[in-house]
Amino acid sequence: MGNRWIETILGGKAGDAVTVEPDLTLVTNGFSHGAIDYTEGVADPDKVLVMYDHNIPSGSPEDAKVYGEILRFAQKNRISFKQAKGYSLQYLADEIVKGGQIVVTGTRHAAVLGAKGVLGIGLCNTELGRVLTTGKYSVVIPETLVVKVIGTLPKGTGMTDAALCFLEKHQELRGKVIEFTGSGICDHDKAVMCYMAGETGAYAAVWTEAEDPDEVFNLGNVCAMLRMPCETVQDQTRAAFAKAATLEDTIQAGQIGGCNGGTIEDLRRAVALIEGKKLRYSFRLTVCPATSSAYLKALEEGLITKFIDFGAQISAAGDHSIVPQGAGAMGPEEKLLTTGLYTFSGSMGCEDARIMTASLETIMAYAAVEN
Amino acid sequence: MEKEFKGKIWKFGNDIDTDTIIPGKRGTIPTIEEMKKYAFELLKPEFASAVQPGDILVAGSNFGCGSSREQAATVLSANGVRCIIAKSFARIFFRNAFNSGILLIQCDGVQDACEGGDIITVEVGKCVRVNGKEFPIGNIPENLLAIVEHGGLIEDTRMRIAQGVKPSAHIELDQMQRRKSGYTMVEKLLKKNAGVEHVAPGDIVVTHPDMFMIHDIYTPYLYDTLEKMGAEKIDNPDKVTIVFDHCMPTAVAKNDYYHYNAGIALSEKYGIRKLHIGEGICHSIMHEERYAKPGEIATATDSHTTTYGGAGNFCTGIGTAEMAAALITGELWFKVPEAIKIVLNGHLPDKVLSKDVILKILGDITAAGGQYKSLEFTGPAAKEMSITARFTVANMALEAGAKCGLFEADEKTAEYYGMPLEEIDWVKADEDAHYEKVLVYDVSRLEPQLSCPQGVDNVHTVSEVKGTKIDEVYIGSCTNGNLEDLAIAAEIMKGKHVPDDMRAIVVPATNKVFKDAIEAGYIRIFIEAGCVISHPCCGLCCGMPYGLMYDDERILSTANRNFIGRQGTKKTLSYLSSPAVAAATALTGYVTDPREM
Repeated sequence: MGNRWIETILGGKAGDAVTVEPDLTLVTNGFSHGAIDYTEGVADPDKVLVMYDHNIPSGSPEDAKVYGEILRFAQKNRISFKQAKGYSLQYLADEIVKGGQIVVTGTRHAAVLGAKGVLGIGLCNTELGRVLTTGKYSVVIPETLVVKVIGTLPKGTGMTDAALCFLEKHQELRGKVIEFTGSGICDHDKAVMCYMAGETGAYAAVWTEAEDPDEVFNLGNVCAMLRMPCETVQDQTRAAFAKAATLEDTIQAGQIGGCNGGTIEDLRRAVALIEGKKLRYSFRLTVCPATSSAYLKALEEGLITKFIDFGAQISAAGDHSIVPQGAGAMGPEEKLLTTGLYTFSGSMGCEDARIMTASLETIMAYAAVEN
Repeated sequence: MEKEFKGKIWKFGNDIDTDTIIPGKRGTIPTIEEMKKYAFELLKPEFASAVQPGDILVAGSNFGCGSSREQAATVLSANGVRCIIAKSFARIFFRNAFNSGILLIQCDGVQDACEGGDIITVEVGKCVRVNGKEFPIGNIPENLLAIVEHGGLIEDTRMRIAQGVKPSAHIELDQMQRRKSGYTMVEKLLKKNAGVEHVAPGDIVVTHPDMFMIHDIYTPYLYDTLEKMGAEKIDNPDKVTIVFDHCMPTAVAKNDYYHYNAGIALSEKYGIRKLHIGEGICHSIMHEERYAKPGEIATATDSHTTTYGGAGNFCTGIGTAEMAAALITGELWFKVPEAIKIVLNGHLPDKVLSKDVILKILGDITAAGGQYKSLEFTGPAAKEMSITARFTVANMALEAGAKCGLFEADEKTAEYYGMPLEEIDWVKADEDAHYEKVLVYDVSRLEPQLSCPQGVDNVHTVSEVKGTKIDEVYIGSCTNGNLEDLAIAAEIMKGKHVPDDMRAIVVPATNKVFKDAIEAGYIRIFIEAGCVISHPCCGLCCGMPYGLMYDDERILSTANRNFIGRQGTKKTLSYLSSPAVAAATALTGYVTDPREM
């Protein structure tokens, strides 16, 4: 067995302690803005990016306050500041990073960059602050689990269902790197698996061509799944699962997009599922393009117009998976199906709203009814 | 009611607006009992906890200006206020307060003779006395006293329903009668609908509005009020439109779902089929769908209902209780207003828009200058304005306190509505009509205007404000979210980019505008310029969470109000302008004259 991907990218063997200089440190108004409180100067401003990308336009004066704080931090340290580009990680994946690079930020969803061969690492704010100050990041190189993905998805399911099934099986991969391997998987679906693999608590995820799998994951066994509500954000990686077929309650709203499900490929699939159908009466559907580039492509392809005609509400490009107040917020005891990955109490409005992660296919099957 | 009573004074100044009485962001709290805790929270935070039943408010001029929100009156009523004495009252608040069972007394002079905490004595219809001084007051019409005596319009209407509501005859004036000369536009419109051959300012006429509109801020309160009145059916569901625009997309978690559900329930219980859910802003939909037509009467639970006056429609906002009563009976009374003729001469220069015209007028006549007046626009520059440019002017006529803002119905009006001109061309200002005054403007020399913090009538030219740092620009609203507004903004922004620290938000007024703007390439231009696009809705204009700002940040918006706290905290500074100024400012980060771009 040769070097694992993580060993190559970090320059050592599993178990070795190494110190690297990340190619990019990302600070956003999501979870990582608190890192600026732990920063004493910035070692290399050219390797830092500050982005305003969550719940935009601002849903409260407090959100605007955070905007001002990260803007002033960027200006003071002469760091590039971007907003109105959409969700930062998707923007990086689409337009900025290259295979072999290392990116650190404040969310486990940085694993999505693994689909591009980039090591995306989510750190807590104190450690992110240290990386900003020193420009260096130290780690003991983790072990790797290689998962070979085979088969094809059953009709009516999507890669989010596959990822949910994988998560149900692997609820504890804390500290490991997941190397997915397998042929015939499109880039979009690779990204979804990496994205959601972060929910296992894994250190990182990536797609490689490794040929010695530790286990096999068969897409043919996937069924439509839900990630159920949980109490707190700390409980998120332990949230329960259920088969979507068990869903009997009335659902008030659906959301496509946020930190998952808002790419141009997702928007195309969603439009294909509404052709010739109409929006369920008194059901609210929100569509959130992930990036401004995806929004522009969707405009060009007529997708946004089709969503409008269908009766959907189109949110600004960006991440809308945590919206205490803002477009798509849910009322008491209301139920939301979302492609977003947060289901904790209060993540999308009221604390007693029930938020469930579902695939785009499951959401559209509920939202779109016969004319 | 008692002919003489006493109460402790709470004293207020001039221009106390509805946002000051109850902040817009509290407007979606489901119950009045909960909402009343926030009355005057920005101005007198102690008010709600300290006010006692029977206390009396004494204020300066234009009390209750701003929104049509009936809650501004009902939170006071729910807090035990039964009487307000002021130099003058905003016209929608005036109706709402009586309908909520509050006695309003107009009196000039008492304000200088008292302080908060003093005890004042009221002799209804005769005088008020405080600190040994006496001030005469006028008579109050019996119908209004009766509503107060019954405890408000709800109980009054319950009694009418109990007695059996009988539909009254509705015979409108024919074409020849409505063409009779010597009348202002508002007089013509009211007498045509009321079927009376002659009216004069001050007359009370009973009309049968052609269209009623309710938006989602008021759906729970309207539903609740109809229930309290005991209404099992309404007069004519086909004359009613419900628009979900303030609370849709649902954004304020604890409240908006409730408004959504109430809108659905209203529609289902009363058979209202004109339902627009998340399709854009009510006032834009009202003319886009041709619900509010030239020569007709429309009314809605919103102050900016004056918008359709741009097409020669008499339209004005009313409160929820009054809407409920009108839906049941099909009738609505109006006092015929005095009219001010505003003659717009000359030609608007390039990048000077109709918004600049109305801002200039607002600066000149102030927020109280059109109190219960009909502002009637005529002249070559009015005729040159597009129909949507006219809607912009009429929309903001309300900000001067006007009952309505009317334009003459002409070829452009007929074309927009697909109506024969001869059906509507009687909506014009007669040369021999009596106007309270005539204002004449030469718009050729007009430069872009801005309303500055914190009042719509604090208007300055762009030259005076140029260079002021702006943190966020908002292009949208029923005032300036139409296609031609987006067109001029796109023309200015095409191929350029906002500074990295500028938050620029574009919100098309309706789905149709949104789709047309996509088709025309404007949305692409905005995104490429660094703007974010939100779904058509009222959004930040009414303080909803679509770009709320923090302390000391400055926002420039194309909307219609910059009251304290409306777009963020009470320290947020709000400016209003045309879409041309907004687009130019978005590109530089400082208030910028679009003529120099």
